[in-house]
Amino acid sequence: MTTEVTAAGKPFIHVHSAHCESGVTAALFRDKGVEISEPMIFGIGSGIFFGHLPFVKMGGVTISTFRSQPGAVFRKSAKRLGGKFKTARFRNPKKGMDELRRVLGTGQIVGLTTNIYWLSYFPNRFRFQFNGHNIVVLHEIENGFRVSDPMLEEPVDCPAEDLERARFARGPLESRGFMYYPQSVNPNPDLRAAGLQGMKDTCKMMLKIPLPIFGIRGMRYLAKKIIRSPEKLGFMGACRELSSVVRMQEEVGTGGAGFRYMYAAFLQEAAELFASKELARLSGEMTAIGDIWREFAVVSARIIKKRGQTEETFEKAGGLMLICAGREEQLFKDLAKAAGKLKA
Amino acid sequence: MNVREVPQDITYYEGKKRACWALNDEGKYVIVPSSGWEVEAVVNGLAVEEMAASLEATRQAVLAGVKSPLCYYMELRQMTPEILGKTARVAAFRVRRHFRPDVFSKLGPSVLDRYARALAVTLDELKTVPQT
Repeated sequence: MTTEVTAAGKPFIHVHSAHCESGVTAALFRDKGVEISEPMIFGIGSGIFFGHLPFVKMGGVTISTFRSQPGAVFRKSAKRLGGKFKTARFRNPKKGMDELRRVLGTGQIVGLTTNIYWLSYFPNRFRFQFNGHNIVVLHEIENGFRVSDPMLEEPVDCPAEDLERARFARGPLESRGFMYYPQSVNPNPDLRAAGLQGMKDTCKMMLKIPLPIFGIRGMRYLAKKIIRSPEKLGFMGACRELSSVVRMQEEVGTGGAGFRYMYAAFLQEAAELFASKELARLSGEMTAIGDIWREFAVVSARIIKKRGQTEETFEKAGGLMLICAGREEQLFKDLAKAAGKLKA
Repeated sequence: MNVREVPQDITYYEGKKRACWALNDEGKYVIVPSSGWEVEAVVNGLAVEEMAASLEATRQAVLAGVKSPLCYYMELRQMTPEILGKTARVAAFRVRRHFRPDVFSKLGPSVLDRYARALAVTLDELKTVPQT
């Protein structure tokens, strides 16, 4: 945690977060005086998810996701917590930058959606074409902006030119300079009601979507696909697919195990809020499931590193994922039952 | 995951640390900065190696006169003809056509300027590739 000063001269506490979107949303709420943690935002905004999109290819491999679509956590959590946010997109980059300066001038910190490749303060390893990274801009400095990036330990400086490129990068999911800031925030939000809404929505998304590629069914589908993949795609092709799954699980700022640990942290906080033993048990179970996801990553890495010279097999990796699917199915069923019984 | 199990394998993030959620001794979830995990290095290494190999192959092709430098800089920026086309306001099929050195060499300054801006390189850089 580091203390910075916002454009209004108020102190701003930078909190190192696992996930950019929930980190930014939590920071915007905290700036308005609502004490709320990152996992709480993540849970209320129904951030946890699973999906495997066999028909969307990026760089030649299919996409799997461990979270709901970009922007959903912000949108849902803001609505459920009773915050009114002003959002804007722009056609003209210059107008977008002018508007950002104007709002910063009024003393308001601003959330932005950017392309991570053009944010030069990141190490090269982090930089890839992805149009969904969220940051908070604190105030303007000479030739640039002071930026609080929740994925980094400290706030950083970002040149204005880089920020403009990052905001207006083209390509899939382009943000078109998307910016958002709170206009009014309920100072005492009903965390219990919002948390219950988030849990119920999550259970619905994980269990009830009638398509075989989302939620628990998506996990089973992907697990079986991984088991078959060496025959279908050849060894290297299968490795490539497997590595893309593990990258989505561990690389892209998930707090470990594809957001499962962060969701366990949310359940833990919710358990205290409701004084519910059942939620505390579910938090423990989620942690255990997260550990299996980590094991899946370890097994996958061994397969990829040794290129077939190891006892680890694609069957084992897929099998671990099937175990996760089974246990998560039970967990979300129990959570739906528990959430139905709790009173807001 | 316990706080002591948070991987601190390698300084893989170039000195930066990434946040992980883990349980402390009282069983409460806390943020723990991680300096890197070997699993990530292996998994990401596969993608990074392939990208580097493909970039090197393109560079050789440019030096051999088979492709234009435009193709090299596009790959360097991890773009596709579609993304580059949108950024530079050139139709994607024209971008692909400009990968041919003979077509590329006849391009006018306005198109080249748009490409240079889209790729964040100077006009001189855009006409050559690094020799090594």
